[in-house]
Amino acid sequence: MTRVSKVPIDKNRPSPEWIESLRRRFPIEPEIDRVLTRKLTLRAGGSYSPIGLDALSKSLQALLEAKVEGAFEILDPTWLSGGASKLQMRFKLSWNRPGIGRILTDMVVRMEPAESIVETSRLREFQLLSALDGVLPVPPTFWADPYGDYFPYPAIIYGFVEGVVKPTGAVSNVSGLGINFGSPVRALLAPQFVGHLAKLHLWDWGKKMEGSAFATPSLGTQPTEWQLNWWARVWEEDGNEDVPLLRLALAWLRENMPSTDRLSMIHGDYRAGNFLYTEHESRISAWLDWELAHLGDRHEDLAFASMRVLGHFAEDGKTFLVNGMMPAEAFFEAYEKASGLTVEIKKIKYFHVFYAFRAAVLLLGTGYRAVRGGKTHQDLVLAWIMALGYSIQEELREILEEVA
Amino acid sequence: MDIRPTIQLAAVIKAMQDIVLPAVDPGNKMAQEQARLAIATLQFVVQRLPLMFRYDRDELDRYLGLARALLTRSEGGRATGEAAANLATSVAAGADVLKRAKAEPAELEGAIFELRQTVGELIQSAYGDARPASLAAIRRLVLDSSKVQLDRERGWVLTMGFEPNPSVVTPVEQQLQNR
Repeated sequence: MTRVSKVPIDKNRPSPEWIESLRRRFPIEPEIDRVLTRKLTLRAGGSYSPIGLDALSKSLQALLEAKVEGAFEILDPTWLSGGASKLQMRFKLSWNRPGIGRILTDMVVRMEPAESIVETSRLREFQLLSALDGVLPVPPTFWADPYGDYFPYPAIIYGFVEGVVKPTGAVSNVSGLGINFGSPVRALLAPQFVGHLAKLHLWDWGKKMEGSAFATPSLGTQPTEWQLNWWARVWEEDGNEDVPLLRLALAWLRENMPSTDRLSMIHGDYRAGNFLYTEHESRISAWLDWELAHLGDRHEDLAFASMRVLGHFAEDGKTFLVNGMMPAEAFFEAYEKASGLTVEIKKIKYFHVFYAFRAAVLLLGTGYRAVRGGKTHQDLVLAWIMALGYSIQEELREILEEVA
Repeated sequence: MDIRPTIQLAAVIKAMQDIVLPAVDPGNKMAQEQARLAIATLQFVVQRLPLMFRYDRDELDRYLGLARALLTRSEGGRATGEAAANLATSVAAGADVLKRAKAEPAELEGAIFELRQTVGELIQSAYGDARPASLAAIRRLVLDSSKVQLDRERGWVLTMGFEPNPSVVTPVEQQLQNR
């Protein structure tokens, strides 16, 4: 038998034909398509070079000159740590705020590196944060530079919110997963964690998101199909060596797509570590990292929040707490009570498979490709957390053993 | 297995150059010098690591050549005779190793890469048109082999601290013993 010879694909220098073939193979939301296509188009253009606070402040100055009326001054720019995907600079702005007058406002610039562990849209993030103002605790938004007109890469500017992601002095590993808040704080945070999720899923997004960069899928299997296409495409774009288990998982996910009965705004990364809380009163002061948000099935967030890798055992050493909050059954029960919506365990299990697949794609696919091209401000962190991809795959394998 | 020294070293060098070196006290000459030497050493390792196996194999080959030539010329008393006999034993052992060291590490990696891809394509195709019994068998084989593969990979990165229960993972040194 003659072997069909194939032209090898150089993923580090993607050809326009290959990019187009991926766009055709994996129909996804137009804005997601735009950012993924941009990533591939720019990939051969070189690695990320460090950008100093001075350079970033100059970009900020240019944006503010275009957007702000009257005199202003940028004060005290400093780096904010946290997160493996975006660069964040905190600063104070002395300006004439419309409707308020002269004021000093604490703000944050959130900018992409050349490529990120998760390639997403600053436009969507900005639009959603703006729309959620008054619905959930989120940082106030100010300006967006979604196409990198002022900054070296796309960026948004939002308000700085006081709070911590984990107890002061607590040690967690570099991934920032599995935060242990301790029993007293947990008791106060857990109801808010559930309540906010219920509120988000019940939120009437229709009018507020009209004309936004969020596309609306039909009820039924389309919401899930778009998600599968998104992450299958990312795996094709970024993955190095093939992984049979991921192929099997994707095929199974396509064969078993659940039907969505109601469209909710999905955070997409709903977990401890992505909210700030005040230590003196244990109040969630802001939900962050909305870059993976989309319209979809509520079971997505419920499944993600209850992934094993995000939880830990309670002090008794026996009770497993999802997201360091409460046992899974109690979490689903509290959600049903808070939202009035039903929770179907079969769908939760389906999305456990999906999220384990997505995590493996991000860690082993995009993480690998970004480091290979020297594309981020912290390649070393990405090279380190890639290792998490194997224990997540083990979780994926165990779930597939149960459901496939 | 994608967590390899080549990619890890590239990330370490970038972190040293972009983040660590600019933060080293310019007044501390020894720290400055050693930070730069650390980067230069790592860059050297990145260059040479892919050649290491080939270099060693070439050296073994050349030493075997030298040893064989020496054996044809070693004549003399008892001491020379004993040394030549020892050398002949080493030549036999070395020749056996050389015979078994034909493929390059990059070829080994390439063969795995291709097999992973073609296995993946078979799985994808099977979900399209394989008979139900065949698909069930394929699914079983993939899940079973994934268990073994993930045991290896988790063992490889065990010391990086991501396993919720490290005691259930066998260190890779033990897994690869006698392979």
